Amino acid sequence: MEDLELESVLQLARGHDADALAELYRRYSRRVFGLCRYLMGSTETAEDATSEVFLKLQRSIDSYDGSVPFPSWLLRVTSNHCIDMLRRKRRERQVIGETEAGTAPLEVAGPGPSPLSEVISAEQQAAIRQAIASLPENYRVPLVLRYYSDLGYDEIAHKLGLKRDHVAVLLLRAKRKLRVVLARGRE
Amino acid sequence: MDCFSELTYATFVDGELAAEEARQVRNHLAACSRCRDLVESLRAENRVLQEVLRELPQEAGERAGLAWFPRSWVWGDLAVVTAMLALSAIVSQWFDEQRVPEVLEWLNPFSSAGSMNLVFNLSYYFGRGGVAMLTHYAEIVGWLSLLCLLGSSALLLGRRWGRSRSGLCLLTVLLALSLPSLALERRHSEFVTVAANETVDDSLVATGNTVRMDGVVNGDLLVFGRTVEVSGTVKGDLLSWAQKTEVRGTVEGHIYTFSQSLDVSGQVGHSIYAWVQSLRIEDKGHVGDGIVAGAADVVLEGNVTRSVTVFTGSADVSGNIGRDLTMAGGNFTLANSARVGGNLTARVRRQNDVHIADGSTIAGKRDIQIQVKESRFAHPKFYFFQAVWLLAAILVGWLGLVLFPAFFHGASEAVGAGWRSVGLGFVVLVGAPVAMIVAAVTLVGIPLALMLLFSYLAAIYLAKVWVGAFLGKLLLKRDIATTRDWLLGLLVGLLIITVGEFIPFVGGLIRFAVVCLGLGAFAWQLYRASRPVATT
Repeated sequence: MEDLELESVLQLARGHDADALAELYRRYSRRVFGLCRYLMGSTETAEDATSEVFLKLQRSIDSYDGSVPFPSWLLRVTSNHCIDMLRRKRRERQVIGETEAGTAPLEVAGPGPSPLSEVISAEQQAAIRQAIASLPENYRVPLVLRYYSDLGYDEIAHKLGLKRDHVAVLLLRAKRKLRVVLARGRE
Repeated sequence: MDCFSELTYATFVDGELAAEEARQVRNHLAACSRCRDLVESLRAENRVLQEVLRELPQEAGERAGLAWFPRSWVWGDLAVVTAMLALSAIVSQWFDEQRVPEVLEWLNPFSSAGSMNLVFNLSYYFGRGGVAMLTHYAEIVGWLSLLCLLGSSALLLGRRWGRSRSGLCLLTVLLALSLPSLALERRHSEFVTVAANETVDDSLVATGNTVRMDGVVNGDLLVFGRTVEVSGTVKGDLLSWAQKTEVRGTVEGHIYTFSQSLDVSGQVGHSIYAWVQSLRIEDKGHVGDGIVAGAADVVLEGNVTRSVTVFTGSADVSGNIGRDLTMAGGNFTLANSARVGGNLTARVRRQNDVHIADGSTIAGKRDIQIQVKESRFAHPKFYFFQAVWLLAAILVGWLGLVLFPAFFHGASEAVGAGWRSVGLGFVVLVGAPVAMIVAAVTLVGIPLALMLLFSYLAAIYLAKVWVGAFLGKLLLKRDIATTRDWLLGLLVGLLIITVGEFIPFVGGLIRFAVVCLGLGAFAWQLYRASRPVATT
């Protein structure tokens, strides 16, 4: 099964072949988990989400039409699932807060190079990952969808029920927050 | 041309700017080096972000080899149980720090004071209530255990359905945090003193053989000790758990006590709530509010501003009570000097038990109720409660049978061993409390002692169930094939035991025999369960 082409594995998986589904899990669970981990903010809920995505896959694989590469499709399914989970968690208010994003003016960028733009070591990478994880949900989710899942502003806006401009603002705010957190970490 | 905003440049770098605006930006960048630097920096930032996010979080690697079934909820529940155990550990650690067992030396049967005390208390309690008291106590604990069981099940099921994990975690954390956040001053030694010129600004927790408070405590005073003497001033409440509590000074708040004796010759600002063997308010003593107490002996010589309610074996009143006096129990004496500002209500067994001196003053009504020792069997309430207890026992038996079928069947069969069960049961009945006390005095054994205590009381309660089931089977003379048969047998057996327990004189003996039989069967079944190939 490990040597099979993805297309063959998918073919088998469509027929609900358990080995094929397990193979898909073996190949993509890390990436799915990675996305869940970034979106959900905790390992535990990310593990839940990963499991649920692959359980869902058994049913939803039939709807994969091959128009986009399978990994991208799977990550899209994953991000949809995570956003649903986040939305359920915060049913009482919109998952991504629009309030502050739309109204508050953006402050001017501080002088000097951004700690995010420098060449970074493994240790610094870990620090950045940690800083991303510590971002509030309404900053973290668009950031991950943009730079992990490579989604465009329109798609992010659609998924999160936001206006396109708000997505841009949230992304910039997320980066600024990261800059502040990382700069503070270096002091 | 003016520079664009950082937001515009960020959108531009993301390739999300409209074509026309993007062209304008490019034109501007060609002319403005500052903005070029900014855009470069934003591009580098995006690269780093993508690079970092592409590297999966460390935990992702650990998942590669895992099966892809969802995490079982059992793990979550295990986590909850672990959290609870951790919480218990914190609590027991806190208790350890208080070194409570040491100050409860008077409960230790191996010390002279302890053995005297144990003998005294046991003879007192057994004299009053006999084994019935123990079984009633066990019934309550049985119910509590059942409630705990149901509560835990609801909690676990609630977690599965309601995803209330975060709430539970919050509760656990809050509980855990609430322990250290008590922010009390703590003192512990053989002899704890607050000197006359000393002021404690916080609440004080004192544990010691003798705790003596001559100074001022601005908060509450919580005391665990053998002897507690308050000669100074407590601005808050006094909570004591001691053999002897003596208040000669001032307690501006309330007194809550669980002591062998409470003597008040000082001032109490508010009320006294006491569960004691002997309560005495001396002639100099003054209670600002009222008294509610359960005590073997009550002596009121001092002044109580409001009402007094006591459940007592004997009450002697020679002081001043501002409002009503209500007592229920054995002897009641109102001396010449006594004055009751409100009504006097006394519930006693015989008219002779009440002595009201002619010189005493009762401003309100005088209501002496003689509780003719009429048969309790005449009250429908009695049958109702018996039915409730019977149903409860059957419910517990059914639960036990569903949860631990082999053990319950085995235990009820082991009752049939007769003398072996009685003998073993007696040894357990007497030996277990000693084992608990020994475990508790080693400090680290406190959790074990508590577990033992719960198992002991639960087993005493269940004894009736096992003996009832055995008796039922014996009488119905048929094979118990189904749970229904077993429960029917249990009902018959329990009815017989319940009726038997109310036979005059013999009833107590039957009760005792049932407890011994059941405990013995339980111990034997435990022994067998621990030896899978044991022969009987």
